[in-house]
Amino acid sequence: MKKRSFLTTEFYLFCFLVVIMLLLAVAAPGFYTLNNIMSILNSFSYILISAIGMNLIILTGNIDVSTGALISVVALASAAIGKTGVPFAGLLPAAMVMGALLSTLNGLFITGLKIPAIVATLATTQIFQGVLPLTVEGSIYDLPASFTWLAFKAKIFGVVPASVLICLIVTVFFLLFTRYSRFSKKLYAIGNNRNGARLAGINVDKTVVISYTIAGALFGITALIVATAGQRVTTTMGTGMEMTFIAAVVLGGTSPAGGSGKIIGTVMGAFILAIVAPAINFLGISPNWADAVKGAIILISVVVSAARNIKGRRVIARCAVRQGG
Amino acid sequence: MRKSLLKKVAAAALAGVMTCTMFGGLAYAEEEVTIAMLPKFKGENYFDAVKTGAEEASDELGITLLYDGPSQDQATNQKQVDILEGWIAQGVDAILVSPNDPTAIAPTLKKAQEAGIKVLTFDADAQEDSRDLFINQVSADAAAKGLLDAAKQDLTSKGYGDDKKANIALVSSTGTDANQNAWQAAIEELLTTDDYSFMVIQNKDTDILYPGTDETKVNAECATLISRMGPGEDQIQAAIALSSMSTPALGAQYESAASKPDATVITLTGLATPNALKTYIKDENNPLSTGVLWNCMDLGYLAVQTAYQLTTGEITTDSESITAGRLGDKEITDRQVVLGDALVFDASNVDEFDY
Amino acid sequence: MKKRTFKFSFNVALFLIWLLLFAFISIKAPNFLKPNYLISVMLRNIIEIGMVALPMTLVIITAGIDLSVGNILVLSCMLGGMAAGAAGDAAGALITLAVGLICGIINGIIIAKVKITPMVTTLATMYLYLGLARGITQGDSVYAFPLAAYLGNTVIAGLPIQIWIYLVLAVVFVYILSKTTLGRKIYSIGLNPNAAKYAGVKTDKILIGIYALTGVICALAALIWLGRFTSVKYDAGTNFNLKVITVVVLGGTSINGGIGDMKGTILGTLIIATLNSGLTVLNIPIDVQTIVQGAVLMVALIAYAVLNDRAKKRKIVAVQ
Repeated sequence: MKKRSFLTTEFYLFCFLVVIMLLLAVAAPGFYTLNNIMSILNSFSYILISAIGMNLIILTGNIDVSTGALISVVALASAAIGKTGVPFAGLLPAAMVMGALLSTLNGLFITGLKIPAIVATLATTQIFQGVLPLTVEGSIYDLPASFTWLAFKAKIFGVVPASVLICLIVTVFFLLFTRYSRFSKKLYAIGNNRNGARLAGINVDKTVVISYTIAGALFGITALIVATAGQRVTTTMGTGMEMTFIAAVVLGGTSPAGGSGKIIGTVMGAFILAIVAPAINFLGISPNWADAVKGAIILISVVVSAARNIKGRRVIARCAVRQGG
Repeated sequence: MRKSLLKKVAAAALAGVMTCTMFGGLAYAEEEVTIAMLPKFKGENYFDAVKTGAEEASDELGITLLYDGPSQDQATNQKQVDILEGWIAQGVDAILVSPNDPTAIAPTLKKAQEAGIKVLTFDADAQEDSRDLFINQVSADAAAKGLLDAAKQDLTSKGYGDDKKANIALVSSTGTDANQNAWQAAIEELLTTDDYSFMVIQNKDTDILYPGTDETKVNAECATLISRMGPGEDQIQAAIALSSMSTPALGAQYESAASKPDATVITLTGLATPNALKTYIKDENNPLSTGVLWNCMDLGYLAVQTAYQLTTGEITTDSESITAGRLGDKEITDRQVVLGDALVFDASNVDEFDY
Repeated sequence: MKKRTFKFSFNVALFLIWLLLFAFISIKAPNFLKPNYLISVMLRNIIEIGMVALPMTLVIITAGIDLSVGNILVLSCMLGGMAAGAAGDAAGALITLAVGLICGIINGIIIAKVKITPMVTTLATMYLYLGLARGITQGDSVYAFPLAAYLGNTVIAGLPIQIWIYLVLAVVFVYILSKTTLGRKIYSIGLNPNAAKYAGVKTDKILIGIYALTGVICALAALIWLGRFTSVKYDAGTNFNLKVITVVVLGGTSINGGIGDMKGTILGTLIIATLNSGLTVLNIPIDVQTIVQGAVLMVALIAYAVLNDRAKKRKIVAVQ
């Protein structure tokens, strides 16, 4: 029994990652250059930060498909603020607050009107997407050095992008948060059994809204990292990202029905997704295949873990039958 | 009772939504000439500059200019067709298009022609039989030559030449754009000539990228490309970007690279508006030191002028030249109006432009 | 009884909304009322979305969802187009439909047999089908073959052929859902899959069948789509899934399953068609159109939530 607990989704993902990394070391020598690793770590960081937020939402059995549009809004708004020369120390809280506010709207919409999360956020996606080009004519460009500081200048020990440090802080915080806080227990409880949670005295609506608020702040951080990548910000910086975040969460073993899933799985899911596109480019395969590889990895991973679950359930069921007999 | 009340509430709410959008509607007089302009996508410096020039011409001529296009992440043929069909239905006088897909848009353009609308392409061409005139900014050969010359100049100053070959990579756009494909073909053609034979595309699968028009995706693919650059034989020495989205991305991704490839052994260049490249060109430590373009505002101006004169009958598709306002006379050959030559800008003159 | 009257009233509300919308746009832009525009732009442009919305209604009634529809559409007509180039029209059409069927069956088997939630399954296959389409064509467009061009551009008895196809399909789907035992079974799966199973409904088979059907209809829509645009590129399916889901939800089908009506979906299709082309005629920038569509969906959701709430409360009162 004890041995079994090692064979978790996270464990399999970890093995899979190790195999990929070894394969790359042999087949694509140029892959392990400092530069490439840092650029992968940067995209890993912004995927993971938001994926953690998405994980909190999915734990409660909800979902957010408006994240990409929300990130576009926050990225552009941050650029408008950054254009005036506000430094990073001011931009970060601003982006987090904007993200949190917009995401709270989603949460209120879902809980207040009892509308399923996927359709509610589908509606807000269209509104976020449409509002942007109306407020800004084209793009915001020629942004000052204070804005691009995060991507261009902020390097730890001169090499590691600062986004990686932000990501590390966020990840460690939420690893501890999901393990020790009472709030995260509520998230799992709601995802497992909404009515049971309510009867146990949990304010379900409030908890769900707060999960959206926290996730929104994390989306805000991602938006800022994406926006500061160059000295121009356009209106579609985040489009389509929500699917990457959801994929990272699902790949990491979180059940989209809610109630189960670990942050550490999400970390690995995000890493695999961040590594696919550059890896196949270095292996000499056209980037056109990147999406197919991503899809296959997600599909195989969920099928394998589901097949294991079914087997596990059967074993338990058989034991129960035997005991009963 | 309740139910019908609710129905009314729901209907009233919808009506409210609709009324809110009323102010967006444009009304225009019947007699006026209306020209509709459809860029590949909205919200990027290049087409913004084209729009500025187009507005200048429409103000000068006193006509109505409709300008709409897909957002960057949806720069697809479908979106363009949706917009076009609306314009055909209300019977504008002329349509100016920069198609995302030259063949796919052709049936819709023909439909417009059947409805008596003058159809012109600008910036990128469509199938020849589906448009009346094409306002070309620069011939494919001139564009390819401009780009390769910019790269060559920088590479030779860095010690590359016939005895020291340089690997080059191209960053294209979506893969179906008529322009990028024509330029790419012209570049590949030129690379076989003696002048440029020291530049080599090693592997067409991995060294010609099609990142599309989505900013984040372009950034990601350019970051990977930068990390493959360096002096080695299995590395890339020169990256040439063929779209105004990817050139600034190359500059930005070089800036944010953790350990930058030595700027004295690599070079970056490409098509983009001067504004989008200013910071990188002026930065001496950034290997992006030149950019290639034409005057976008003049392109917009020339496009609207030509469309107007074609509508009013001042010129026909058989005319041999056009007097385009402040631009003076331009030749028309093979139903093409060519704006001029490619323009290479560097640190010495980048400040002279503002678009 | 109660439920029945309630459903009826929602469809009437939808119809009134459509009428209002239609009248409003016609007054503001007289060009809109030209029969040519109504038929060959407004209706013709929505057909692919409307067609896929029909089986999607079934999927959503079973409490499922299919995010991969747009990419099934693209992948099937790309492979079909390539086959047509190599072996002629018949092969092209056959391959298109076969690819749609296979994609749908893959979705169905993973959902019904491996028991992975529909959202995750179709999210993964969405990437997979998109990636395959992109990889196989290496980013190039695939061009229409004669049969596809015929389906996309022919006019029969004054109406484009695809509208006839849609009408036939719509009648069939309305009949299946409201008049057959299969329809009742589909509702029962959405309301309570376990209860349905124990009541003798072959849930697995029905689920696989529904997803396979969705795949085939996607492929059929793909042929029309390819013909209408003469070429299709791998990214053509972007957002197609969300548009289809919008239509279905607007039509009053509950995303939680068990509740829904095919006639509502048809009305939803009509409303979105009117909005899309109406706003274009009014020269409203495409960005505002996005907002309006989002707002309409939101208003419909709110109206539906309120109506539903009232209906529930009344039921509780009745029970007491």
